[in-house]
Amino acid sequence: MSITLKGVMQAPVTPLNEDFSLDIPCFERMVDFHIRHGAPAIAWPHHKAESLNMTVEERKLGAEAAVKTSAGRVPVSIFVSALAIKDTIELARHAEKIGADAILVITPYYWSPSPEEIYEYVVRLGTMVDLPILTYNSPGYLEGIEFTGELVGRLIQRLPNFIGMKDASFNSEKFLEISRVALELRPSFAMITGVEFLLPSVPLGGAGSFSAAGAISPNLCNELYDACVAADWDRARAAQYKITRLWMLFREQYPSSLKGGMVMMGRPVGPTRSPLPTATKERQDYIRSQLDELGILTNEPHGW
Amino acid sequence: MSDLQLGLVHTPLTPFTGDIAIDFEQYGRIINFHLKNGAEALALPMHVAESVSLSDAERRKLLEFALEQVEGRVPVIAHITQSGTSIACALAQHAEQAGAAAIICTTPYYWKPQPGMMLQHFTEIGATVKIPYFLYNAPSEMGGTRVTIELVLDLIKRLDNFAGLVDISLDWQFLIDVVSNARRAKPNFQLLSGLEFLISAGAIGAKGAFAPHATIAPRLVKRLYDLCSAERYKDARPTQHEFASLYQAVKKRGVSGMKAAARSLGRDCGDPRPPILPLMESAQRALAEELLRIPSVAEEGRGW
Repeated sequence: MSITLKGVMQAPVTPLNEDFSLDIPCFERMVDFHIRHGAPAIAWPHHKAESLNMTVEERKLGAEAAVKTSAGRVPVSIFVSALAIKDTIELARHAEKIGADAILVITPYYWSPSPEEIYEYVVRLGTMVDLPILTYNSPGYLEGIEFTGELVGRLIQRLPNFIGMKDASFNSEKFLEISRVALELRPSFAMITGVEFLLPSVPLGGAGSFSAAGAISPNLCNELYDACVAADWDRARAAQYKITRLWMLFREQYPSSLKGGMVMMGRPVGPTRSPLPTATKERQDYIRSQLDELGILTNEPHGW
Repeated sequence: MSDLQLGLVHTPLTPFTGDIAIDFEQYGRIINFHLKNGAEALALPMHVAESVSLSDAERRKLLEFALEQVEGRVPVIAHITQSGTSIACALAQHAEQAGAAAIICTTPYYWKPQPGMMLQHFTEIGATVKIPYFLYNAPSEMGGTRVTIELVLDLIKRLDNFAGLVDISLDWQFLIDVVSNARRAKPNFQLLSGLEFLISAGAIGAKGAFAPHATIAPRLVKRLYDLCSAERYKDARPTQHEFASLYQAVKKRGVSGMKAAARSLGRDCGDPRPPILPLMESAQRALAEELLRIPSVAEEGRGW
C-alpha cells in the first residue's frame, strides 16, 4: 500500500466532445501522453478536470480509464471529493475497487467546517478505504478553510495511511505550518504544492507538485523539478519564472485557457463545461503568441 | 541616486517609560544592541515598534535620536506611512533632511484605496524625496490591502528613486512576479523578505531581509540569513523551522507578545502603548516557557 509521490505529477484535464460528453478515447491518449513524457504519477479529476461539473457516474468512468491506461506504469490518485459526502464515499470506494493507488480529498465544500468537522471527515474517509489518502488544502478558494499544522498532526497520528498533502496556499508561512509538523511526525509525508511552485517549496522539504501546465510543457515541468532537486538555483529560477508566466496565462479562466492552449500544441481536448467558458479563437491566438514568445512551441512536444 | 543595497535589516522596538513617554535612554541601548548583533541596517519605527501609536513629532524625534546614536555606522531607513498623502510626504521630507538613508512606506491606513488612489499616493510620496524609496507590502497588517505587481511596475516607470519592495505577504506568486517582472523593468530593483521566512524568498531571488524577531533571537536570525544568502537551503531548514515556532508564539500575542518576549530575555522595552494592553503575567510566563522550548532561542544571550 506504500507509494512514493515526487516530481511534477500530472493532473490531466477532462477532454469533452463538442456536445460536452466525455471523450474517453482522447482522455486515454492524454494519460498515455503524460506518462510517456515523464509524469511520475497521474492524478484525476482535480478541479482543472472540471470534477465538480461531472456526475458521479462520469467520474467513475474517467477513473477507470485512468487506472487502465496507466496500467501500473505510474501510481494513479483519484480526487474523490464531491459536494455531498455520500458521493464522496461512493467515489472513494470505487477508486479502491478499480485499483487506484491513492485518494485525494479537499476540506468539505460550502459549509465552512470547523477543524473538528474537517478532522472527522478525513478520518471517516481514511478509515473506510485501505488506500493511502492525501488531503488538499486550498484556503484561497475556500474562504480561509484550511488544514492547520495542529490538525495535520492529529490526522497523521490517527491515520497510518495519511501520506501527503496537496497544498495550494502558495505561502511560506502556511506551507511551513503544515510541513514542519508533518515531516517531524512522518518523515516520508509528501508535501505537494498545487501548482508548479517548486522553487519555493522543494527547499522547504516539498516532494514536488501537481501540474497546471504539464499538458502544454511537460519538458519544462521536468526541467524545473530536476534543477530544484540538484540545488541548481540559477537554472531553477529561470525555469520557475517561465512556468509562472504560463500559470499567469492559464490562471485566467482556468482551465478554459489551458484547453485553449492545448489546441495550439496539437492536442485539442474540446470545450469546457458551463459555467466555465470555452476559450474563444481570439483567446487561443493570444495564448499562441505567448507560447511562441516563451519558446514553448519549439521546445515542447506537438501532438500526442 | 544612491546605490544603497540592503542586507539584514533590524527593526528596533520603541521603549516606553511607566508614564508612556518614549524612553530614550533605553532606546540608545536598544540601538547599540542591534548594531552589536548583526544589523546591517535599521528600519524604524516599523509597525512592530508601534509607529501607529507615535505622534508625528515623536516619530521625527525618534528618527533624529536614532541617527545621532548610529553615527553613520549603518544606514537608517525611516518608516513614514500615514493615512494622508501630504502628512506622509512631510514625514518623508523630514527623514531625508535628518539624514535617513532611505524611506519605507506601506498602503495608507483605513481608506481601502482603489488602484488609482494608491498610484497617486505612492507617486507623490516618492517624488517628494531623492533618497531611495521602498514599498512595504503588508496585507496582513493593512486589512488586506496589498501592493500589486501592476502598481510596482507603474511606480518603477514614474520614480527613479523607487528602489525596492519589502514583502510580508509571503505569497509565492507575488514574489516571483516581482523578481521576474520588476527586475526586467529595473535590473537593480530590490526584493526583501519582510519577515524571517527566508528559504522560499531566497530561492525565488529575494536578497536581504527585515528581521523583526532579531530583538528576541538575533543569533538564530543571523544564522538563517547567512545560510540562505549562501543558498544552503537544506542546511537552513532546521533553523527555519525553529524560526516558525518563534514566529507563531509571538504572532498570536501581537506587539504585546513581542515586548513580553524581549523582556523574558532580559531586554525590557517597557509595556506597549495604549490602546494595546500588555500581556497578563500568566500569559507572559506561558510565552516565556514556550520560547525556551525552542532550542536556539534558549541558547540566545540575555540582556543587552
